[in-house]
Amino acid sequence: MGEIAINGPKVLWELPESIPLIGGQPITETMRNAWIVMLFILILCVTLTWHMKKIPKGKQVLAEKAVLMIDNLVDTSMGEGCHSFSPYIATLLMFSFFGSLASLFFMRPVTGDLNTTLGWALMTFVLITFNNIKYKGFGGYLKGFLEPVFVMAPLNVLSEIATPVSMSFRHFGNIAGGLVISTLILGALQALSNLVVGFLPVPLLQVGLPGILSLYFDLFTSAMQAFIFSMLTMAYVGNAREA
Amino acid sequence: MGEFLPFVGFTPWEICVTICNTLITFLIVKKFLFKPVRKMMAAREEEVQDMYAVAEKTQTEAEQLRSEYTGRLAKAKEEANEIVSSATRRATVRSEEILKESSQQATAMVKKAETNIALERQKAMNEIKDEIAGLSVMIASKVVEKDINVADHERLIEDFIDKVG
Repeated sequence: MGEIAINGPKVLWELPESIPLIGGQPITETMRNAWIVMLFILILCVTLTWHMKKIPKGKQVLAEKAVLMIDNLVDTSMGEGCHSFSPYIATLLMFSFFGSLASLFFMRPVTGDLNTTLGWALMTFVLITFNNIKYKGFGGYLKGFLEPVFVMAPLNVLSEIATPVSMSFRHFGNIAGGLVISTLILGALQALSNLVVGFLPVPLLQVGLPGILSLYFDLFTSAMQAFIFSMLTMAYVGNAREA
Repeated sequence: MGEFLPFVGFTPWEICVTICNTLITFLIVKKFLFKPVRKMMAAREEEVQDMYAVAEKTQTEAEQLRSEYTGRLAKAKEEANEIVSSATRRATVRSEEILKESSQQATAMVKKAETNIALERQKAMNEIKDEIAGLSVMIASKVVEKDINVADHERLIEDFIDKVG
């Protein structure tokens, strides 16, 4: 009783060794939850755009509003003519937001795993580098590291690498931190209620405070981090395109 | 209890899975959210533009018709004015003509009447003359009791009357 454990994602299953290349790799809780979230996103998208009509009604308004909002966001932070990025930004926003909100449904948040956020950050990094090379040329991209003076080159390289690292750790840290704090408080409240009102069959003191904290750690942080991650992606990629 | 991965871990396998997941989600979002919505909005935009084009065309047509009708109306008014004025002019002329004609007729009638009167008078005068002559002859024959020649007498009396006036 009262034992609390803060663990990484649980390994649910291991791929059989017989499969070439990926044999023996674990299927983790994060992956399962990610797939649930993906399924949810799929259902959401299909439902929202089911039987669209010329005169929008109900859920269709929502879908159109969402698309317009993301297009607007992309326009304002990346400049005109970047609408092809909108679906990617929408993907990041939705995946991140719903992935974090998974904690509301008794699942380990998808974004509470460094590998998830790092994966996204690496994708963003690839996009940044790709756009840099596309718009500056390969030589121009390499030359960009020597500015303003050539001695800055190591720092520039470091800052380039720091971009995905900081993005992924920021997101992961916020969600994982919330997870840790929630778990700790839950454990502490359980211990306290065992001590004070131990005669009751349920840990009474767990009612209330964790719910309020969950508003911040789950809802607010989830929305905030999803937004920050998408904004940073747009800002970095837009910056690369402008140069 | 199964195994746990480290809380802050770095596993390339998981990163690969995440990237694959994200790409799949990207395709889902693109195909099932953005594509239909964009298509629908484009269709709507096209329809609105069509409607605007039609409305504009109708408006220009209406404007054209309006100006045409205004012109026609103005022309019709002018024509009506002309018709009225010409009719008035004609009426004036005609009335003057009628007046003139009637006055002429009146003059002619007066003249004719005068002539008639003169003739009647002449006739009456002659009749009177004859009567008087007859009377005179009768009286004279009575007075003279002498059967003088009637013809001579008449001649004499007529001479007398002519002298008298």
